[in-house]
Amino acid sequence: MSPRIIFATLVVRIRSLYRERSAMFFTFAFPIILVLVFGTIFTRTDCMNYDLPVQDHSNSEASARLIEGLTTDNAFNVIPVPTDADPVQYAREHGFNLLLVIPRNYQGLHNLRVNKRDGMAWAPLRYIYDPSSTSVVNRIQLMSLMVAAINQRYTGTTAFITLIPESILPGTYRFIEFFVPGIIAMAIMTSALSNALNMNAELRQKGILRKLAATPITRTDWLASSVLYQIILSIISTVSILLISYFVFDVNLHIGVWLPLIIVVEVMAFVGFGMLLTPLAKEAESAAAVGNAFLFPMMFLSGTFFPIEMMPGYLQTFAKFLPLYYVNEALRATMIFDDSGATLRNASITGAFAAVAFVAGMIKTRWGDGGV
Amino acid sequence: MAGSDVHAIVVDRLSKSYGDLLAVNDVSFTVNAGEVFAFLGPNGAGKSTTVEIIETIRRPTSGTVTVLGMDVAKHKSEVVRRIGVLPQGFSSFDRITVRETLRYYAGVFGCRPDIDALMDLTELRDKARARFITLSGGLKQRVGIAVALVNNPDVVFLDEPTTGLDPHARRQVWQVLKGLKARGKTIFLTTHSMEEAELLADTVAIISKGRIVAIDSPARLTEEHGEQLRLTLRPADAAVLGLIHRMGFPLAHTVDDGVYVSVHSPDDVRRILSAIREGGLEPLSGLDVRKPNLEEVFLKLTGEPLFHSDHGGVP
Repeated sequence: MSPRIIFATLVVRIRSLYRERSAMFFTFAFPIILVLVFGTIFTRTDCMNYDLPVQDHSNSEASARLIEGLTTDNAFNVIPVPTDADPVQYAREHGFNLLLVIPRNYQGLHNLRVNKRDGMAWAPLRYIYDPSSTSVVNRIQLMSLMVAAINQRYTGTTAFITLIPESILPGTYRFIEFFVPGIIAMAIMTSALSNALNMNAELRQKGILRKLAATPITRTDWLASSVLYQIILSIISTVSILLISYFVFDVNLHIGVWLPLIIVVEVMAFVGFGMLLTPLAKEAESAAAVGNAFLFPMMFLSGTFFPIEMMPGYLQTFAKFLPLYYVNEALRATMIFDDSGATLRNASITGAFAAVAFVAGMIKTRWGDGGV
Repeated sequence: MAGSDVHAIVVDRLSKSYGDLLAVNDVSFTVNAGEVFAFLGPNGAGKSTTVEIIETIRRPTSGTVTVLGMDVAKHKSEVVRRIGVLPQGFSSFDRITVRETLRYYAGVFGCRPDIDALMDLTELRDKARARFITLSGGLKQRVGIAVALVNNPDVVFLDEPTTGLDPHARRQVWQVLKGLKARGKTIFLTTHSMEEAELLADTVAIISKGRIVAIDSPARLTEEHGEQLRLTLRPADAAVLGLIHRMGFPLAHTVDDGVYVSVHSPDDVRRILSAIREGGLEPLSGLDVRKPNLEEVFLKLTGEPLFHSDHGGVP
């Protein structure tokens, strides 16, 4: 192995990347955009505020208190609806998937129940909803909770059963804290596998590997430069994702010695898989298709974007055969839970994947007789 | 090196098999130091396999190859430092400039060549800062030649150095090759261009079906194997073709706008012309009699024309 040759090849690879804007974008900018987009979407759910159009036919003190109750903790932003409008038509025309109607006799019914202690008196609140809307279920649930709380207050007693949340985590964590390690794992996987696969396929097709085979560069030099190149890209990508996450979302993640170790192991694993897949890409043009066929199932079934517990049982079992699952688990174990035991366990399984894939990939990457 | 004054390359009883396919079959030849050696063969003849074994890229099944006295199978790392290789359809890293490309290969070889002098030799100085992807085919080939020379090799392998180039670019490359020859480099030239081989080569070897079928200087090959004259009559008249067939030249055929026939002597030419005149056929608009050339020698020895690629026989 020659450090001089490895360095020269590394410089050429980095220059090539620097001069190719699309590669720069997908390597560095794309994961950051994912963090920004998903972070923005899911961080907002922590302080959710829904619009709730209300048609108040009662227009009374009692209905005003009801509306005030619905806006407690900014749960709903109440939008008044004209009383002469047809509520169904109004909801359709204004794109509302939930609209609450307070009846004209609401104040009277309220007086019967509260002032005259008529236990049989009850107030029907009609709500108009769009069942085709995916988000309406959450709104109805929230509205039901708010109404239940208002009912509870009318009874004048303290609720007997009260749920008290207690997190398994040492601090307060949001979805973004769970999401960032997954994106780091995904960005490293995509970059390592795609670069190993695309670059080898392209250089082989162009005959550059054949040319290099007749020079002092050896297969070991070539692979060492590939791994070093990927480690550099992965470090830059990880640091960028973390910086954006800290500055934009003020994430609370633990950064320790495990993180660089997991990055190196993941790079070795996916460079290995890239080398293993290269013979399947007969031409450089088909390399992307081969890579995507491997990357997409890995991305969506390994718990990168959502917990695997949301998937059917057989897919959860399948996920545990995927190396990215263990990378995600290892990164979350160290960055969220700061749990060295779980990190070591998952990093070791990733390391086993890396050892098998890299050695098999090296054997498949023939340098010389028939391999170029 | 052993015999360094005489032989740059010695191929001795070389064979290479891919499964049941015997691509190279007991091939032996030598290349003298300082000469231009042209290696010709039709598709799948074993040409590329032979060259790649000499270049250390493939390993022989049997036989030995020595380059500058070193066995290529045993001394790959030493051999590659003393040879330069221009692969067919040379390509390099798209977004790296000409100067950076030469620097990279210099780094790989661990040498410090005069990059400017190399670019001058290959007439690339004004393209030093151009990225490889922006270069024309001829310029790319010249970069490939410059790369092949970056380690100041004793033996230079050039695989189809002018394929796909326009006549002007081809002549420029030939000039470069003549310059290399004048510097005493041994050049191993694989080509489909008979014109190139005749113009540049001191020795021509023809390989067919994995075996060397002829090896000598271009002049002696045509003298030895090209005993027929090539007669072309214009226009391509079917009546003239029929007459020539009946005169005992069954291989006569039409090519482009003329009737083509191989004859043994000037007497045959005279007989054919007399027969056309006496047969009252349409007067000839053109007549061309040429001496045999390397292309005819090749056709005669291999039974096949040359094509523009040679990967058919290698898995």
